[in-house]
Amino acid sequence: MKTLNNRNNYLKIIADYIAREFKTIGTSYSILLVMIGGVFVYGLLYNYMYQPNLIRKAPVVVADLSQSSLSREYVRLLSASSQVEVYSHANNILEAKELMKTREVVGIVYIPRDFERRVGRGDQSVFLAMVNTSAFLNFAAIQEATSGAMVELDGRHRSDMITFLPLPTLYAMSQAQPINVVGTALFNHTEGYGSYLIPVVLILIIFQTLMMVIGMISGGERYKKTILYYKKNGLGFGNMMAIVLSKTFVYSVLYAIFAYFLIGLLPQIFSIPNIGDTMDIITLLIPFFMASCFFGFTCSLVYADSESPILMIAFFSVGLVFLSGISYPLELIPWYWKVFHYIIPAPPAVLGYVKVNSMGASIADIKTEYITLWIQCLVYFLTACFVYRYNIKKESAAIKEAANF
Amino acid sequence: MNKSIKHTAFYATLKRELTRMVSRRLYFGVCIVLPLFCIVFMSTIFGTGGMENIPIGIVDLDQTATSREITRTLGTVSTCDVQELFSDAKAAREAVLKREIYAYVVIPNNFESDLIGGRNASIPYYIHYALLSVGIEVEAALETVFAEIALAPVVAYGSVFGTETSEIESFLLPVNFEAHPLFNASLDYSTYLTNPFFFVLFQVLILLTTSYVIGSEIKFKTWQSWLDAANGNIFIAVAAKLLPYTIIYIIMGIFGNFVIFDLLHIPMNTGFLSINTATILFVIASQALAVFVFSLFPALSIMISILSMMGSLGATLGGVTFPMPYMHPSIDYLSHLFPIRHFVNVIQNILYGDYGFPYVWEDTVILIVFLIPALLILPHLKRAILSRKYEDIE
Repeated sequence: MKTLNNRNNYLKIIADYIAREFKTIGTSYSILLVMIGGVFVYGLLYNYMYQPNLIRKAPVVVADLSQSSLSREYVRLLSASSQVEVYSHANNILEAKELMKTREVVGIVYIPRDFERRVGRGDQSVFLAMVNTSAFLNFAAIQEATSGAMVELDGRHRSDMITFLPLPTLYAMSQAQPINVVGTALFNHTEGYGSYLIPVVLILIIFQTLMMVIGMISGGERYKKTILYYKKNGLGFGNMMAIVLSKTFVYSVLYAIFAYFLIGLLPQIFSIPNIGDTMDIITLLIPFFMASCFFGFTCSLVYADSESPILMIAFFSVGLVFLSGISYPLELIPWYWKVFHYIIPAPPAVLGYVKVNSMGASIADIKTEYITLWIQCLVYFLTACFVYRYNIKKESAAIKEAANF
Repeated sequence: MNKSIKHTAFYATLKRELTRMVSRRLYFGVCIVLPLFCIVFMSTIFGTGGMENIPIGIVDLDQTATSREITRTLGTVSTCDVQELFSDAKAAREAVLKREIYAYVVIPNNFESDLIGGRNASIPYYIHYALLSVGIEVEAALETVFAEIALAPVVAYGSVFGTETSEIESFLLPVNFEAHPLFNASLDYSTYLTNPFFFVLFQVLILLTTSYVIGSEIKFKTWQSWLDAANGNIFIAVAAKLLPYTIIYIIMGIFGNFVIFDLLHIPMNTGFLSINTATILFVIASQALAVFVFSLFPALSIMISILSMMGSLGATLGGVTFPMPYMHPSIDYLSHLFPIRHFVNVIQNILYGDYGFPYVWEDTVILIVFLIPALLILPHLKRAILSRKYEDIE
């Protein structure tokens, strides 16, 4: 009977905390703004921004010094490619450079004076593609376009070159075949930038808005001393657990809806890769979400008012993209940053999500990330409880001191 | 007389701000710790900067002299590192899923005999494009090496009768090309991203700190003493308040440039004078933007959330990773409202080509123009403070 009473009592406390947390969130404009603005506006905006996905019509200038039928044929082939657009023709390299300086073009295709003459006398002709590296994607696009046009031109003019080779050689070569080499882009067949980056951003939106909301609430609690409300049920570990769990419950309910929008709906609307198994994604999100909540509570150790947390949290958004190992391979990141990859919940979650969602991996394939997240859950749960106890003690001591003073 | 009053008001506000700055650990964090973190993070995160030794796998189903030769040839590519030999394609694909390797090459069964028998021997390879930036690098490397491998049998047959290899090559490829990545020949990631992204992070910090230092006066209801110190003049109040941060951030920015270009030896085509001038303008423009946006609705908790979202957008709108002209025109126009966009234009121009001021004057002027809306909105800010309407909005 006594245990039953205790349990009822405990549930009552939790229900009380949950109601209180909902009220805190619902009555604060700024928290609602972070949630709604961050999740819905940001989610839609990022998808809209990266919707073009690919570099199309990168402006290049052709400096054609050869002015021959062969060079013109090449330029026609080049402008037929979708990646580049021949923005202008220059008479010499200086004119072409000038256009690059004014940022009207990002690349120069330089066709030397002896372009056709060399082919005509049986030599190899070489042209240059010079690309500004201010964005690597431009380089990749222009390289693809120029080499594609080149392969076509070579195919058309190979037969002209037969005259330059002795017959036995030609005969021998006709016996051989080149090896077919076929490259396939896995998991992102359009090689699109958006389809690569957006899944990362979606997870980071969840993480960052959650960190901000937790920061604002727990910072506000300490600033206004409302954290002392929790003191009425004592400083025991059970009460601390009740605080942490009830808060986590509230965020989970809200973020279940947000995650449904961000991770369920947006990929469908904007045709982002979504070949993952829904159950696997949910299985991954559960430890990620709990670990993030507990991590956020642990960080509240340093939050003294409701705005200063944002100063620190927003700052790290961009860094988390690099730490996740999506944009730059984890193998090449120095070991001391790799440590942070395992300490913060977002990077392993991003990696796991990209694996499941974009590559169709199963839980077995993401076991490193999945186990990392559960370990984080466990560790941060304990630290979160301790931090709450510490914060309550600290604030009540501060009040006592003020009263004595 | 009037002038000296203004002077004292300025000094009083400045002095008051300096006292505030040492009163809380927060200011130490945002002025010293986070900028230094920015510098350290961006200058070390890319390791050596070059994408080298990226793990790839080979599925050798043929197990012949030819297939082993191809394996050895692939081993010579510096971008890739043949880390694993798989017995079947399924195992290789699973390794890709686990992200153990970023690409794999399949040498099919009977490859050598198909090659000799002229039965269309082929080599498929698969690249992990869910991780796009690595995918691009690996694909470029594999394409180059396979261009050689693909033609190798033809060249070998042709040279039997003593024809020079170069002649055969010019028969096979009458036209060839050389790609020159200008200014960053090795496509080094540190050269590409360290400097712009340092300032992307820095802008987030400047936007938030600026709005926080002004907004905290309103929120914590200390604005009366603030305006009193400035003698009721809002221009003096804001200028004197922000001056210490301007100086600190300029010093941090210049220190960042020093670390990036001097200690890390990231190439730059210009002197420190022009890059540091651009940095100074960037810091001031970012502060001006923060003052303007904050003053629109000077409730700290709301505006700081909005500014934090704006700041993170800088990573995209700077146009470093995905160039802006290829996005929707609306986004391209939007990006011009961010100092980072103009700053990136300026620094890329002076760092890469050192084309000189005539090619960056528009962006330089725009960085200065950011001050105008900030100055024009200050009277509104004062009215808003005095109205006391924004104090308790949460």
